[in-house]
Amino acid sequence: MTSQSDFARAPRIANWLVNLFAAGEEAESLLGDMLEEFSLLASKSGVAFARSWYWRQARKTIAHLVGNAFRVAPWLTAATVIGGLLLNRFVSGLPERTMFAVLHRYQVIDHHFSAYVFFATDGIAIGHVITSMFVGCVVALATKGREMVATMTLGLVLCAMTGAAVLVWVATGQALNLWMLPWYIGDWFAIVIGGVIVRMRRSAATNLPSAT
Amino acid sequence: MSNRDYLGEFEHIVVLALLRLGDRAYGVTVRQEIEVRTSREVSIGAIYATLNRLEAKGYVRSHLGDPTAERGGRSKRFFRVTAKGMAAVNRTQRALQSMTEGLDLIRSYS
Repeated sequence: MTSQSDFARAPRIANWLVNLFAAGEEAESLLGDMLEEFSLLASKSGVAFARSWYWRQARKTIAHLVGNAFRVAPWLTAATVIGGLLLNRFVSGLPERTMFAVLHRYQVIDHHFSAYVFFATDGIAIGHVITSMFVGCVVALATKGREMVATMTLGLVLCAMTGAAVLVWVATGQALNLWMLPWYIGDWFAIVIGGVIVRMRRSAATNLPSAT
Repeated sequence: MSNRDYLGEFEHIVVLALLRLGDRAYGVTVRQEIEVRTSREVSIGAIYATLNRLEAKGYVRSHLGDPTAERGGRSKRFFRVTAKGMAAVNRTQRALQSMTEGLDLIRSYS
C-alpha cells in the first residue's frame, strides 16, 4: 500500500530558489533537511500543509542566506558591486556604437528604413539587455557562493540610480520617454539572470542530486 | 577571539540544543528541539546561519553523514560543540545567572 506522502513532491520552484542562494555543502544539507521535514509533515498533516510550510521555510531561509552573505563578506560584496557598476558604465555604450557602425557600414537607412528604425531603437535596447547579462555573469563569476546576492544588489543599485536620474530629469522640466522604462527594467533583470546562469552552471558542476 | 566573548541569545539557544541532542544534532533535530522547548517557530535558514557563525568562531564543528533516500540522496550535516564552545556557553550561562540572581522575575512581571 502506498501512502499519499510517497507521491508528495516538495515545491520545485522553492527548491530551485533556495539552491540559487545556498552554496555547495550548505545547499546539500539545507535542502536535505527541508525535504526530510517536508516528507514528515506530508505524512502527518497532508501535502497541502507541507507545501505551504516548505514555501514559508524557503522564504525565510533565503532571507537569512542573503543577510548572512552581507554579514560574512560585506567588503567583497561591495567591491564586486562597484566593479560591476564600472564595468556596466564601460560596456553600456557598446550597443549604440556597434549598432550604428553596422547600420552605416551597410547603409541600411537608404535601403530598409523600417529595419533601420527597429535596429536603432529596439535593437539597441536588446543590445543593452545582452550587455547587462554579460555584466551580471562577470559579477557572479567574481563572487563564488554569493552570485545572487551580488547581482541582485547591483541590479538594485542601478535601479536606484536610474530612479534618481529620472527624478532629476523630471525636476528640470524635461520630457520623459516612458517607452524606455520596460527596457531599463529588462536591464536590471538581465543582470540578475546573468547571476542565475553562473550559479546554475556552478551548481550543476558540483553534481548534486536532483531536487526531489 | 577574546575569552570574554559571550553567546548571543539565539546562539545560546542553538548551542544548548546541540548539547541536549548530542550525536543526533543536525538541522532538522536542532530546529525541532528549539521549536518544542521554546514554542518559537524558527527556520532552517536561521539555524544554519547561526551554526555557520558559531563554526567560524570555533564554537562548533560539523561533519557530513551518509546520504539517505528520504532526503533526496542528500547528506545530513551533524554538529557538535567544541571545548571552546563549552567555555563560551558556560561563561554566558554564568553571566545570565549572575544577572538574574536575587530577582523574583515571575512575581515582578506577571
